[in-house]
Amino acid sequence: MNQHHEVRLNVNGTEHTVSVPPRKLLVDCLREDLRLTGTHVGCEQGVCGACTIIMDGQNVRSCLMFAVQADGASIETIESLASGPEDLHPVQQAFVDCHGLQCGFCTPGMVLAAKSFLEQNPSPTDDEIREAIAGNICRCTGYTFIVDAIRTAAERMAGEEAGQHV
Amino acid sequence: MKPPPFEYFSPTSVDECLTLLAEHGEDAKLLAGGQSLVPLMNLRLAAPEVLIDLNGVDELARIDRDDGELVIGAMTRHRDVASSELVREACPLLAEAAALIGYPAIRNRGTMGGSLSHADPAAELPCVTTTLDAEMVVVGPGGRRSIPARDFFAGHFTTVLEPSELLLEVRFPAHGGGPGWSFHEFSRKSGDFALVAVAVQLPGDGASAGLAIGVGGVGDRPWRADAAEGLLAGGQRGDELLQQAADAVGAQAREHGEGHADNDYRGHVAATLARRAFATALERTGR
Amino acid sequence: MSETQAETQAATQQPKLLGARVTRVEDPRFLTGNGRYVDDIALPGMLHVAFVRSTMAHADITGVNVEAAASHPGVHAVVTGAEMAGEAKPITCDSLVPTWQATEYPALAHERVRFVGEAVAAVVADDRYIAEDASELVRVEYSAREPVASIEAAIRDGAPRLHDSWEDNFFVKRHFNGGDVEGAMAEADGVLELDLVSHRHSGIPLECRGCIADYNRGDNTLTLWTSTQIPHLVRTGLADVLEMPENSIRVIAPEVGGGYGIKGHLFPEEIAVAVLARKLGRAVKWIEDRREHLLACIHAREHHHRLQVAYKQDGTVTGIKALLYVDCGAYSVYPWTSTMDTGMALGILPGPYRIRNYECEAYSVTTNKCPLGPYRGVARPAACFSIERAMDEVAHAVGLDPFEVRRRNLVRDDEFPYESVTGLIYDSGSFHEALEKVCRDGDLEGMRRLQEEARAEGRYLGIGFSCYTEQTAHTTNEFIKRGVPIIFGYDTAIVRMDPSGTVLVHVSTHSHGQGHETTYAQVVADQLGIPLESVKVAFGDTAATPYGHGTFASRSAVLAGGASLRAAQKVAEMLVRFAAEHLEADPGDIELAQGKAFVRGSASRGVEIADLARWAYHRPEKLPDGMEPVLEAVSSYDADPGTGTFANAAHLVLVEVDPETGGVKLLRYAVTEDCGRMINPLIVDGQVHGGVAQGIGGALLEEFVYDENGQLLTTTFLDYLLPGATDIPKIEVTHLETLSPFTLEGIKGMGEGGAIGPGPAVASAVADALSPFGHVFVNELPLTPERVRKFVQQATGNAA
Repeated sequence: MNQHHEVRLNVNGTEHTVSVPPRKLLVDCLREDLRLTGTHVGCEQGVCGACTIIMDGQNVRSCLMFAVQADGASIETIESLASGPEDLHPVQQAFVDCHGLQCGFCTPGMVLAAKSFLEQNPSPTDDEIREAIAGNICRCTGYTFIVDAIRTAAERMAGEEAGQHV
Repeated sequence: MKPPPFEYFSPTSVDECLTLLAEHGEDAKLLAGGQSLVPLMNLRLAAPEVLIDLNGVDELARIDRDDGELVIGAMTRHRDVASSELVREACPLLAEAAALIGYPAIRNRGTMGGSLSHADPAAELPCVTTTLDAEMVVVGPGGRRSIPARDFFAGHFTTVLEPSELLLEVRFPAHGGGPGWSFHEFSRKSGDFALVAVAVQLPGDGASAGLAIGVGGVGDRPWRADAAEGLLAGGQRGDELLQQAADAVGAQAREHGEGHADNDYRGHVAATLARRAFATALERTGR
Repeated sequence: MSETQAETQAATQQPKLLGARVTRVEDPRFLTGNGRYVDDIALPGMLHVAFVRSTMAHADITGVNVEAAASHPGVHAVVTGAEMAGEAKPITCDSLVPTWQATEYPALAHERVRFVGEAVAAVVADDRYIAEDASELVRVEYSAREPVASIEAAIRDGAPRLHDSWEDNFFVKRHFNGGDVEGAMAEADGVLELDLVSHRHSGIPLECRGCIADYNRGDNTLTLWTSTQIPHLVRTGLADVLEMPENSIRVIAPEVGGGYGIKGHLFPEEIAVAVLARKLGRAVKWIEDRREHLLACIHAREHHHRLQVAYKQDGTVTGIKALLYVDCGAYSVYPWTSTMDTGMALGILPGPYRIRNYECEAYSVTTNKCPLGPYRGVARPAACFSIERAMDEVAHAVGLDPFEVRRRNLVRDDEFPYESVTGLIYDSGSFHEALEKVCRDGDLEGMRRLQEEARAEGRYLGIGFSCYTEQTAHTTNEFIKRGVPIIFGYDTAIVRMDPSGTVLVHVSTHSHGQGHETTYAQVVADQLGIPLESVKVAFGDTAATPYGHGTFASRSAVLAGGASLRAAQKVAEMLVRFAAEHLEADPGDIELAQGKAFVRGSASRGVEIADLARWAYHRPEKLPDGMEPVLEAVSSYDADPGTGTFANAAHLVLVEVDPETGGVKLLRYAVTEDCGRMINPLIVDGQVHGGVAQGIGGALLEEFVYDENGQLLTTTFLDYLLPGATDIPKIEVTHLETLSPFTLEGIKGMGEGGAIGPGPAVASAVADALSPFGHVFVNELPLTPERVRKFVQQATGNAA
C-alpha cells in the first residue's frame, strides 16, 4: 500500500518525475517533492480554494487529487505566472494596484482562479466575477478589492488585445 | 488531515475495472472525480484498502442521444453536463441543476457517476435523476442491469450498487421542448449543499406527459412528491391547485424529515420552493 | 517666484507619504508564490507531529496505551500528557481581578480532559501521513464526567465543576455601578427588557496554525518558527513553561496567513512541539489541519446579554442595567486571561451614547468547550449588538426613527474629550457626522425608495444602522485597569541606516495582512527624506527585532508606527548634524528631502544622504566631533495618557429577506469610519472591508454548534460556513479624519472596527424588512435561515 509510483508531471513547462505513495495528495507533491510552495493548503476539505491549480487548462483543487492521478498531466501553479516583481501577469499587477490581497494566503489560488476564469470570459460582469471566485475563500479582503482587481485585469487585457489587433 | 494508505489502480477499460472489482470486492472503492470521496478520505472517515481510479476509462465519459434518451457516461464532468448543448435541448432540467453544483473547480472535476454513487441526499443529481425517472445502467460480473433512479438510492450515502458493480451510464428520457422545467434549491450560502431542493417538470394546461416533482435534502434520499403529482396529473394549473400541490410537497417533506429538529422549517421551505418551481416551470411552457 | 526658486522648492520638498494612497510594497512576494509561511519551511531531518485529541468533553484519563503507535514503522516517539508534565509547566495566565479563579492548561492533557479536541498525546513520525496513521493506534481510556456544555449548564445550582479547586464555574465575576441606575429606572417613561445572544464563532485564518521547533543540544538553544502575531510574548511564555533562559529561545514568525487575534496566543501545541524537538534533538514540525483548527484553536464571541433599558418618551436612554455572561470555554488563555471579553463588554456597552447611569454584572463562565480568546473586535461586536438593538427598540417604543433616536443619544462633538460612565476617555470623535455622512454617502434616501418599490412588489427589503466607538491602541494605563498580568502598553522600533543609505526598520509588531511593510516605510521615509523604496520593514524574528508585544487590538499603526516615527526622527537628527558639519551650515537650516540633505532654500547646497551614510560608516573621520559611526536608533512608543484612542464609525446596510425561506441577502453596505489621520487610505479601506466581511460572516453564517454532550458538530467547512464572494456585497467606505489629541500625527487604530458594526446593522435591517409582518425584536446572531423564519413567525404573532 505504501509502494511508490513513478509519476510524470509537466509543471510550469518543466517535466518532472516523482516517486510517491498513492495516497500522497497532489498539493503535497507540488509543495514537498517539487518545492513549489506557492500552492497553499487551507482545509483539505475541498472548500477553501487555497490549493487551486490549473491542470490541463482547468482550475482544480489540488487537495482533492492524488499525485498519482496527475500522471501525464500539464499543471500550472502560481510560480508560472511571473519570473519576478518586474514581470507580473496582468492579473497579478491588478491585484497590486487594487489592493486585492492582505495576508496573501488565499492569493495564489485566487489569482489562478481569476486567470482561468478570464480566459473563458474576458469581459465579465461583477456578478460573474463573484460567481467565478465563490469557491475561493478570502478571509482578509471582503472581496471588494479582489473584484475590482479582476475587473481591472480584464479591462487591461482587453485593451492589450485590442492594441495588438490595430 | 491526510488520507490513510491504499493500493491504487488506474484501469483504462470497463472490463479491467470489473476484473479489479472482482478481485478486491468490498475492500475497493471506485474513484471518480474525487470531490466527495477525497475529502472523506482526508478526514479519515473513509479508508478503502484499494482505490480503482476511473479517470483513465475514456469510454465512461460521454454525452449522447440514443433513441429518445439522453445518455450520460458515469465519468462525464459536471462542467460538461452544464455546458452541453445536447443536454440543454434534451434535458434542460439536468443542465440547470448541474450548473448549480458546488463551485467552478468542483464542477471541473466532479462527475455524474461519482455524485450519484456517493448518494448525498442533498446533492443536485440524485434529486434530478429521481425526478426524471432516469435509469442507472450498471455493470457487474453478471452483466448489465438497469436500475430506476427511484430504486437506486438506498439511504444516506448508500445505493443498491453491489461492491462488484460499476455505474456505467445514466439514461434520461428526453423531454426537451415538452413540459416546463425548474430546479429550485435553497442553501445557506451559494454553492453549498441544499437545505432543500425541488426539481419540477410540469407540462402546461391540459397536459400531463412528463409531469414530475422531486425533492432533495429532506430525508435520507431524494423522493418523488407523489401526492402533489397526483393533484396536478389532471392537467389543471389554477393558482389554487398549484398552492395545494405545493402544500402537499411540504406535508410530504415533513413526513420524510420526521425526527429532525428543523423538520417544520424544511417542510415550509419545500412547499415554498415547490410553489416557485411550479411558477418558473409554467412560465417556460409559454403559458 | 523665479524659475530657480521654483526649482529649488521642488527639489527640496518631498510630497508627504504619510496620508498617501500607496500600493503595497509587500504584494509581489505573495502574488508570485514567494511568501514563506511556516509550512513552506523544510529543515534537514525534520520530523512531523500529529496530535491525538480528546473525543470526550469532560473525562478522566484512566489510561493511554501507546505501544502499537510507538512500534509503527516510521514513528520516532509517542509522548503522553504524563510525560509532558515532567517537561513543561502548564500554561497559566492569571488575572489580577480579585474574583479571579485560575486554570492550568497543560501542553498535553494529563489526568483529565476538559474539551473535545484537547491534545492528549503527540506522535512524531517521518511524515505527517505516518504520524496520523500511528495516532489512530493510540488507545486512550476515559472515565466520563458530566459535561458542562453551555452557560446555562455551568451556572445552574449543583453544576459539576470543571476545575476542582474552584467554588463554582466562574473565571471572574465583575460588577460595576455608575451614576444612579435605580433613579433612572424609577423616573423612566419606559423600561425595556432585552435578551441578546451572540453565538460562538471565530476568526478562522485561512492558514491554520503551525510551528517548527529546532533544538541544539550543544548550546541549549531552541528556535521556534510559528505562525503567531506575538513572537516576543510567545518567547517569554515558552521560557517560563520550559524553564529555559529566555536568551536561549528564538521565536520567528514568518509570513502569517491571517490572524485576526486568533494567533495572538501561546498555544499548548507550540510548547509540545518545542519539548519534542528538545527530546529528540531534531527539528519537529506541526501543521494544524482544518479539523483541529475548528476543534481546538481559539473560539470567540459567545455572549449572552440581558439588558434593562430605561428611556424617556423623547427617545433618550437614561439608564441601563446589564447582566452579561461570556462562555469562555475550558481554560484561561495566555497572555489575555479569560477576563477580556467580560471586561471589554462591561466597559464599552454604553458605546457612543451619553448614558450616565449604568450598572453591569459580568461573568466569565467556564464550560467544556474550546477556550475562548480575542477575535477582531473582542467583545465589542456583542456589546454593540446589545446597545444598537436597544436603540432600535427604544425608537420603536417611542415611535421615532431609529436614526433620530441615535442622534438624540450620541455624544456631541463639543463634549470631547468625554469620560464615559465607565471611566473610558473618548479622546475625540465624529459620532454625529459619521452617522449623517454614512446616510448621505450610502444613499439612505435611495435605499428607502428601493424599499418602498420592493414592498409594492411583495419583496421585503430592510435598512439597518449601527454606530460604535472603538477603543484602539490601548496603552499602559488601560491594561493596568484591566488587571491583565502583562501590560501591553508600548511597542518598539529600531531604524537603522546602512552604508548605502537604505534603511532597515525592525519592529516588535507583526504584519500579517495589515501592510506594515508599506505604512511604516511611509512614516520613516517622510522623516528621513528618502524614497519609499529605500526603506525596508522587517519583523517577526525575536533575535533581530526589539522586544515588544505584537499585533493585536488595533494598535500597530499608532504604537509601532509611532515608535518608527520617533526612531526615524532620531536618525534624521544624526543626518542633519552630519550634513550641517559637512555643508558648514546651521543644523536648524538643514532639510532632508528627495534623498538629499539641503540647506533650506538652496537646492545647490546639498549632499546625498547616501554619501553621508557611506561616510558615517567608512569615513568616520568626517563625522562631527563626538558623533559615533552609528546611524541607528531605537524608540518605543506608548501614547500618553495611556487610555487609548477612540475611533468611530457608522454602518448602513440594505438587505433583502425572503420571509418564506428565511434567506437574507445583503444588497448594499456602506461604512463611514473615522480613524484620525490615515497613514494610507488604501490600506484603511482594505482593513474595513475585511472586518465588515468577517462581521457579516458572524451575522449570517458562522457558528460553532456544540451538542449537549459538548461534542462539536461543526468540524469542517461544510458545517462551519465562511462567507464567499457571492455572500458579501460591494462594501463602500468613506472617511472622516478627526485627529486624536493623544497620539503622534493624530493616528487612531482601525484594524478591528469593521467587524464590530455588521451584526447589529444586519439584525436591525432584518427587523426592518420584516416590519410589514409586525414588530419583532431580532436578538440572536447569526441569522440563519431557520432563525429568520422564527422571527417571521414572531412578527406575525406580535401583529396578531
